[in-house]
Amino acid sequence: MVSSEPTATISPETRSAIDVEIARYPRKRGALLSALRLVQRQHGYISPEAASELAGIFELRPVDVMEVISFYNMFHDRPGGRHHVYVCTNLPCSLRGARGLLRGLEAHLGVEPGGTTADGRITLAHEECLGACGYAPMMRVDETYHENLDEGRAKEILDALE
Amino acid sequence: MLTVPYTTSYLTEHFGDDAFGTLEGYRAHGGYEAARKALTEMAPAEVIDLVKESGLQGRGGAGFGTGMKWSFMPTDGDQPKYLVCNADESEPGSYKDRILLERGGHQLLEGILIAAWATGSETTFVYVRGEYAFPAEQLSRCVAEAYAAGLLGENVLGTGFRHDVVVHRGAGAYICGEETGLLESLEGKKGQPRKKPPFPAQFGAFGMPTTVNNVETFSHVPHILRNGADWFRGFGTEKSPGTTIFGVSGHVVRPGLYELPLGTPLDEIVFEHAQGVPDGHKVKGVIPGGMSMPILPAGQLDVPMANEHLRERKTMLGTGGIMVMDERTCMVRAACVVSYFFRDESCGQCTQCREGTGWLNQIVERIERGAGAEGDLELLLDVCGKMEAKTICAFADAAAWPVQGLLRHFREDFEEHLRQGKCPFPESFEL
Amino acid sequence: MAKITVDGVEHEAKEGRTILQALDDLGLLMNGVDVPHYCWHPKLSIDGSCRLCQVEIEGVPKLQIACNTPIKDGMEIRTRTDAVREAREGVMELLLVNHPLDCPICDQAGECKLQDYAFEYGVQHSRTREPRRAAKKKVDLGPTIVFDQERCILCRRCVRFCREVPQTGEIGVFGRGDRSKIETFPGLELDNPYSMNVADICPVGALTTKDFRFKIRVWFLEDVPGVCTGCAKGCNVWLGTANNKVYRYVPRRNDAVNETWICDDGRMSYREIGSPDRLDRALVRGELGVLEVTSVEQAIARSAERLRALADAKGPGVIGAIASGHGTNEDLAAFVALLDGLGVENRGLATLEGAADDLLVQSEKAANGEGARRLGFGDATAVLDRLKGGGLEAMIVMGHDLVDARQLGGIEAFERLDTLIVLDTHHSALERVAHVVLPARHAAEKAGHFTNHDGLVQSLRPAVEPRGAAVAEAEAFDRIAAALGLGAGQGAA
Repeated sequence: MVSSEPTATISPETRSAIDVEIARYPRKRGALLSALRLVQRQHGYISPEAASELAGIFELRPVDVMEVISFYNMFHDRPGGRHHVYVCTNLPCSLRGARGLLRGLEAHLGVEPGGTTADGRITLAHEECLGACGYAPMMRVDETYHENLDEGRAKEILDALE
Repeated sequence: MLTVPYTTSYLTEHFGDDAFGTLEGYRAHGGYEAARKALTEMAPAEVIDLVKESGLQGRGGAGFGTGMKWSFMPTDGDQPKYLVCNADESEPGSYKDRILLERGGHQLLEGILIAAWATGSETTFVYVRGEYAFPAEQLSRCVAEAYAAGLLGENVLGTGFRHDVVVHRGAGAYICGEETGLLESLEGKKGQPRKKPPFPAQFGAFGMPTTVNNVETFSHVPHILRNGADWFRGFGTEKSPGTTIFGVSGHVVRPGLYELPLGTPLDEIVFEHAQGVPDGHKVKGVIPGGMSMPILPAGQLDVPMANEHLRERKTMLGTGGIMVMDERTCMVRAACVVSYFFRDESCGQCTQCREGTGWLNQIVERIERGAGAEGDLELLLDVCGKMEAKTICAFADAAAWPVQGLLRHFREDFEEHLRQGKCPFPESFEL
Repeated sequence: MAKITVDGVEHEAKEGRTILQALDDLGLLMNGVDVPHYCWHPKLSIDGSCRLCQVEIEGVPKLQIACNTPIKDGMEIRTRTDAVREAREGVMELLLVNHPLDCPICDQAGECKLQDYAFEYGVQHSRTREPRRAAKKKVDLGPTIVFDQERCILCRRCVRFCREVPQTGEIGVFGRGDRSKIETFPGLELDNPYSMNVADICPVGALTTKDFRFKIRVWFLEDVPGVCTGCAKGCNVWLGTANNKVYRYVPRRNDAVNETWICDDGRMSYREIGSPDRLDRALVRGELGVLEVTSVEQAIARSAERLRALADAKGPGVIGAIASGHGTNEDLAAFVALLDGLGVENRGLATLEGAADDLLVQSEKAANGEGARRLGFGDATAVLDRLKGGGLEAMIVMGHDLVDARQLGGIEAFERLDTLIVLDTHHSALERVAHVVLPARHAAEKAGHFTNHDGLVQSLRPAVEPRGAAVAEAEAFDRIAAALGLGAGQGAA
């Protein structure tokens, strides 16, 4: 999913996909969040160069794009692991041991909170409520939810990630 | 992940049938007949009147009358009008909209179509929170099916009415669930709520008149059209008709979703449906409506889950996210989790919210660490007071209420921390 | 018009204006009616985020922000109630929780809105025990501005300014909640021709100018009203003076001229006043052909002598006069009187032209070109042609725009003159060929009037003592006229 050498430019495929998104909205800028997601899918994060290019496409200033990137949890402005794993630590999940689970996974991977494994596979962090409160504790691995977890199963899931 | 709530009613009774999530399956249960009736037999104003008569209230937390909200849309002028379906569900404890998206896509779309007809709207933007990738995917599939079958697009059901649905994904920010924060985010900006007036019905998405409704709110609409206002009023209470989907979580035997009539007593939901607290523990407190709503102590759970009753107990229905905490739970730790959340999610515009959420969190965490000082509890309440009713949106209020609620009913927990210089609940959930 | 009542007093205000705008229109804001505010600015879009301007409105249950509430006929507004005070105190206390106690080292002290409102509405004793939020202390935001992120109260005036006025939009608010920070795009700077205005509008010491940094405490400055001399706009300024020195210009509000802004070049032009390049002595070319320092009296006598000789011998037709837009109307009127008295008809105005913009900057780089034109100094081409053709033997030249503008391509043409009298504030290349040089006072050193490009006449008053022996051109011309026996002049000293 993440290219090993992120280039500064947006690929033609990503650019086409962005154009498709732009056509869906009455005003161009409505497609910005989608575009950021597409660029992030290409490189794993959104670099200042990519942000500048997006600014050009959307007729915005680079700082406008950067503001948006910095506001939302799901956008990364720096490279991380090939997979982003988030354990929800909000109240219903914490009531059912989410924080202990997270600490166990940090130890298992050998990372600090929010850190990335040495082999570049996984960035592990906490996240706020993901809407799975009845199936706690749980975690999000990229776009997939894993619910009703115990530490054993959670570790298995992480170990299987490439 | 549940496919069906543990108790169902008209919204979720068919969710166990996978086919119900497809157009064919939905139609087999009479799907889109209500929309056909509205578009071919009723004038838009009639539809609005029907929904008003039903007494349907918004299910996104504010509880505003849906029919009334639709009637705010201008009926003159030729500017485009929009609907927005608020699928940003990020209130901690709330996970009901998710299942409606995953398994009730067509039910939602039918409700949207009816609302579009009633308000003269040409496009609905469904704003799905960024993290709900799978639900957004399911809904997008339903949208594609609907377009293919002429239920959306240029000529809905052959009536000449045109309506488009755009599924828009957010990117992770709780404040985008606030109506005008959502509109800003939909427009590709930071989700910072707008000053009001103007209200969305005058100046909404992309500057056009817009009505924003919650996923569940739309989902009730086809049933009201199909069965009538009186039928709808047969569920729930007089002031709060219909069902809702309660999401139970925390220290219960059977956490999960329960579609039940509004007005169902909270203790019935917790002890009968969710089968009470496991392993011989006892309830200490229950948050009834998602984390923004003030907590209720064990002795006050005999309250019908409807706003008119909950208000008497100084709390609200919110999004029906019921979080149960047993006697081991340290309420100061709960306050830490709560205050951290609001500090993290404040958009940062208003001074009181930005600085207040930060300060509340710092004070509460210091108390939990055992470094609380005399006057801290009064200070917490004072800061809450500074935040209430003075900001661009209600986030600051939502951040203040839970702390006020915890201090109102569990002041002892806080005072013990101050007295002992440490947390006196070693058995409590880990922070 | 609508009738509104503010703290029991009735006023008339325009429908559609917000409460703050209406108070500002009436000249009452912070001048009879106190509605403290941070994010609102009369010339920027409405933000509504600082929440300090909350007021009570009759019939409305919640306090409303005055910056975003349109007035209605019959509205009753109260700014002095307990609820309003409490709301202000609430905002102030929350801002002070994290604001660093930098006053002893902060340039803003003495003109800081946080200090001012904390004095009125702040807490006597801080109730916070928490460590204050740390952020970047000395950000080199661009060529002119230093930014202290810790002091920032996120009123966002600077962000709106850059987007709305120069429309360069270099800065934004990154992040969310109490991690919100003002930043530029990585690698880009705050760099536009109006950049220093952000330091004026920043209510605290978060944005300060590099130019003024640590120079002097503002309570030592006396603010004298004046006009910028950089171009024909005539932006109104306050000259911040102390110790007989001008330390800075800050824009002075004039809705008919510059609103609340000034361009960076104009703001920095205060440096001309104290520049080491100032002419502070009269100079006369002696027998050895070298310019010698002398008294103004002597220089005037020599000027009169040589003008009289030439006029008698060859008539006033061999004398030419070049005025400049740097003189006041009084200076120029005295010049006219002198020239009329001598019968000199060869007159022109030297103007330095440069780039203009859509905002304030005019292409004519002098404050009083219009004043000169209205006094009969037109295009200088004819005079210069006569000079080049050898038809002039004497010239009286104000300022050095003539040389700077390269209207002649150099100073060689002056070399053949028998008499060149130059009056200027600063040294210039013209001195090499001048016979008499008179030191002129800068606009900051005299009273007088400028007429800007719109025909607006604006007045000046002296802010500092004249440099050395400098005299107003009006006085110089009057004294030359007197020495020539031409009678009293019209210029004011």
